[in-house]
Amino acid sequence: MDYVIEMLHITKKFPGIIANDDITIQLKKGEIHALLGENGAGKSTLMSVLFGLYQPEEGVIKVKGREVKIKGPLDANALGIGMVHQHFKLVHNFTVLQNIVLGMETVKKGLLKMDDARKRVMELSEKYNMFIDPDALISDITVGMQQRVEILKMLYRDNEIMIFDEPTAVLTPQEIDELMVIMKNLTDEGKSILFITHKLNEIKAVADRCSVLRRGKYIGTVDVKTTSKDAMSEMMVGRKVNLTVEKAPAKPGDVVLKVDGLCVDAKQEGHTKKLVSDVSFQVRRGEIVCIAGIDGNGQTELVQAITGIRPANSGTVQINGEDITKRSIRYKNTHGMAHIPEDRHKHGLVLDYNLAYNGVLQQYFEPEFQNYGFLKEDAIYHYADKLITDFDIRSGEGAATITRSMSGGNQQKVIVAREISRKHDLLLAVQPTRGLDVGAIEYIHSELVKQRDSGSAILLVSLELDEVMNLSDRILVIFEGRIVAQLDPKEVTVQELGLYMAGSKKEGKADET
Amino acid sequence: MKLKNKRNYVGVLSSVFAIFIGLLVGLVVLILCNPSQALPGFMTILTGAFTHGMRGVGQVFYYATPIILTGLSVGFAFKTGVFNIGTPGQFIMGAFGAVYAGIMWDRLGGLHWAAALLASIVLGAFWGLIPGLLKAYFNVNVVISCIMMNYIGMYLVNWTVRSNKTLFNTLRNESKDVASTAVIPKMGLDKVFTGSSVNGGIIIAIVVVILIYILLNKTTFGYELKAVGYNQDAGKYAGINEKRNVVAAMMIAGAIAGLAGGLLYLAGTGKHIEIKDVLAAEGFTGISVALLGLSHPIGVLFSGLFIAYLTAGGFYLQLFEFSTEIIDIIVAVIIYFSAFALIVRSILGKIQEKRAKKEEMREGGGQE
Amino acid sequence: MSVIYFIFQQTMLFTIPLMIVALGGMFSERSGVVNIALEGIMIMGAFTSILFLNLTGGKMSGQVQLILAILISMATGAVFSLTHAYAAINMKADQTISGTALNMFAPAFAIFVARVIQGVQQIQFTNTFRIDSVPVLGKIPVIGPMLFQNAYITTYLGIIILVMSALVLYRTRFGLRLRACGEHPHAADAAGINVYRMQYAGVVISGALGGLGGLVFVVPTSTNFNADVAGYGFLAIAVLIFGQWKPWKILGASLFFGLMKAIAAAYSGIPFLASLGIPSYLYKMVPYIATMVVLMFTSRNSQAPRASGVPYDKGQR
Repeated sequence: MDYVIEMLHITKKFPGIIANDDITIQLKKGEIHALLGENGAGKSTLMSVLFGLYQPEEGVIKVKGREVKIKGPLDANALGIGMVHQHFKLVHNFTVLQNIVLGMETVKKGLLKMDDARKRVMELSEKYNMFIDPDALISDITVGMQQRVEILKMLYRDNEIMIFDEPTAVLTPQEIDELMVIMKNLTDEGKSILFITHKLNEIKAVADRCSVLRRGKYIGTVDVKTTSKDAMSEMMVGRKVNLTVEKAPAKPGDVVLKVDGLCVDAKQEGHTKKLVSDVSFQVRRGEIVCIAGIDGNGQTELVQAITGIRPANSGTVQINGEDITKRSIRYKNTHGMAHIPEDRHKHGLVLDYNLAYNGVLQQYFEPEFQNYGFLKEDAIYHYADKLITDFDIRSGEGAATITRSMSGGNQQKVIVAREISRKHDLLLAVQPTRGLDVGAIEYIHSELVKQRDSGSAILLVSLELDEVMNLSDRILVIFEGRIVAQLDPKEVTVQELGLYMAGSKKEGKADET
Repeated sequence: MKLKNKRNYVGVLSSVFAIFIGLLVGLVVLILCNPSQALPGFMTILTGAFTHGMRGVGQVFYYATPIILTGLSVGFAFKTGVFNIGTPGQFIMGAFGAVYAGIMWDRLGGLHWAAALLASIVLGAFWGLIPGLLKAYFNVNVVISCIMMNYIGMYLVNWTVRSNKTLFNTLRNESKDVASTAVIPKMGLDKVFTGSSVNGGIIIAIVVVILIYILLNKTTFGYELKAVGYNQDAGKYAGINEKRNVVAAMMIAGAIAGLAGGLLYLAGTGKHIEIKDVLAAEGFTGISVALLGLSHPIGVLFSGLFIAYLTAGGFYLQLFEFSTEIIDIIVAVIIYFSAFALIVRSILGKIQEKRAKKEEMREGGGQE
Repeated sequence: MSVIYFIFQQTMLFTIPLMIVALGGMFSERSGVVNIALEGIMIMGAFTSILFLNLTGGKMSGQVQLILAILISMATGAVFSLTHAYAAINMKADQTISGTALNMFAPAFAIFVARVIQGVQQIQFTNTFRIDSVPVLGKIPVIGPMLFQNAYITTYLGIIILVMSALVLYRTRFGLRLRACGEHPHAADAAGINVYRMQYAGVVISGALGGLGGLVFVVPTSTNFNADVAGYGFLAIAVLIFGQWKPWKILGASLFFGLMKAIAAAYSGIPFLASLGIPSYLYKMVPYIATMVVLMFTSRNSQAPRASGVPYDKGQR
């Protein structure tokens, strides 16, 4: 068999954890090979090993049958291996062309000579149907375009083996389709692709074979055409997963959150852009309303405008009938709003504080925890112990654990525990399960439903279609800062929802079909 | 709680490591200059402070007073997430406030010195307030605006002193003596440390250290300050007014540095504001004190005493024809290596890991 | 007319060292390392080169001596800055702290060594470097008296450094890579660029230019060196920010600062300004106040290199 890359029996250990345990992956020439696994399954580590960022304790890497030692990205590149990283490695204030040639510049008399490079880049972009403006600044082009720049970077370097790390996470469905076509084109031209993902649909659509990792271990490699999605999913999580959430029909009560004509503007390069445009909706007690949409369509800004982290340019936000648009964050926090933020490291936790201190991040000033401005340490630690038991938070040293040293799932649990345990009428949950393993996801889902049933109004923002479909009682689709549809999860299919999210279907038309 | 202790322990070790390297470099420099005198000279650095018994100890406290406070100013600001390199400016503004009040408000009697200290606190706070406001409302980098404020403060003080006939001693190109009522009382210390310049200032400094310790670690205000210092976004999310926080932090830091200026210039030891275009050294020393003391109030107290101790010892170096700058060299090297705390931490971490592994193996062996 | 020539020449004396040092800082920050140690580097550069001038005074022709001193100052600055590079790049130390340590070290070291060598801390030198009038060029009207009379070769060197800096930064492979490291080191790394090496290059260039700036500052304005460059290293950092990390804007910022310094130093000799009766202290304070005001308006959309001051860690992604 004609393998271009073989990673044989790779083992990589970190203190306290075996990230890769005897993993074997073989990539055939001209195939699209999917690498499937949950967050933390060891995919990133394996790729870092392939790029020489880590040296494995055991195992060998062969390229075209020949054993190689890869000491860094330069070696990998010399062997024809290139990668589109999940977070693009592009310099924001360089042009497209500068980014492509970076590291491979041609010079004449010591000065940069871009003409030849420009010609080659244009040829490549035509050959593979990837049109770009070589003189545009990276910060001015769309995410989809930026990804093309990354692919062109690999082509410019004559990479034969291309690794795509979660390439669809940031794309619209249309862009995803285009990417799939580009990937097919690439393999038709003899390139080989390793496609890292956890989305089964995409694997089905484009991959030839699929290797599965779970908790650092190699589970197996299957032929995609002859294997069902369910089977692959079971390999990924290790048991039959039922991500459908058991829940009774919602019994919506009074309106808790009322958003009216909310707008958020951003100034970019001198002109104003509407990030959130005239958004109005309501959330009632006892229901979960989900804002569905592709990342970057204004959901982050919408939530930040509601919470007050970012000011709204116009429109109003009411909680329990009271206009709180211009109120301070502290006021909102103490008047019924709880908030599981999108980025747990940026907003959710003070990572250098211990668990106990993080547990009272919005309550340390309440009489329960302070006396004339002095902290009641005992009460704070006691409260943390209660959160730890109630929510089964695992940490090395209990309430005194510095949160930085905790796992992502347990950090998220701290935030969920803190927000849910506070007295609240409205719970804003933004991507509450991002980056967590299945166990933690199931737990957080069931907690959200419990909160709903006990009378909270819940506004959920999610990028995961499954989560949207399973958890919500109502779906609001956001596209380019506007709410373009209100849907009932029981009546809409995932495919339809996807079309709305991509902006290719609007509510008026939906009724006709 | 256990973890917290371990961290402090590693921090202290890294400071000890830095001090060791700094002293070593000092010794090497001395040997390179004059091998025969190097060892006695080095011993003088280490023990010179005791040359005159209790009087020497008193001098250490006297030297330590202003730098403990400038160090506390830098360290406190560090804990709240800002690098206050503006201590030289705040210090000289505070000194000016004290000298101005010490000369002009001569009818206050017994309260004179306290009022003069208050003036130094207010002016220092004002000089810290400006960078704080600029940071909060215009996002101006605090380090840069503090550097600017240092020079503006220095020129402003020199200008004001020179142009005020009541303040200016034309003959010596410096400020005049403050009124005797403005001199800080000895608070009984002169009886213990006879003949030294020590005065009540050291007691005031220690009280301020304790107050700041309580503020940072026991109060909700300290909780807020540190939360914003560690993670400004999370502070905002928690509803802490991060703008008010940075303004308050800089104001307090400035007030402490200003008080440092006041305590030194009201010590009654013949200190005058000299009209020279040079930034106040006590301000920069405060940065060293804070870094060596790991920005912890109690740590700052000890590192301030330590650097004062070295300085007092260094004073006697002239007997061996070495110049006192060797102390500054040693301190600079100490600071340089204390910036390597990360490395020391990882080395210690590895040692601990190995030890833990060995213990595990031993325990495992016992069971078999 | 002669007043204008005088002001211009004075301005250049202050502008050129500021610009050279700020350009040095630019290379460091553009590579991703904040270099707050410029003050200390200037002192070290000035110290060794002035010491050289002191020791070799009268033994060779003025211009040759000055050129050798220039090389010595640059070498000293470069070597001294290596300690900052090591702390910032290899040890991932806090760059402000490491820079502060260097700033403390330099004057102490200069005084200490000067005392050991010659007993006093001031190092005297004889200024034999002034060019009364450059042949031919000095006779050109207007430009001649401004640029080519009573001049120092360091002025022309400064202009060459400015042009070269702009060229290197924007038109060469090195410049492209350097800027990539300061903006997005992970992107540079992924493109096969050795980020650490580029950052070393950036810091060492800043060291060489900083050291040179120290010499260039002292030579025309004094006849002895007293382990002090009057805060010019810090002022250069302000110039760098004022100039938004761009070579030509740095020139503009240095000219402004230089003019203010020149007025403060020489206003009593300028009839027009002397008659205004504004105290010299005000002129001394103006550059610093102006910097603060400019920062108030530019800090929101700062053009600072994004990764500047953040230790680069390969492992983090």
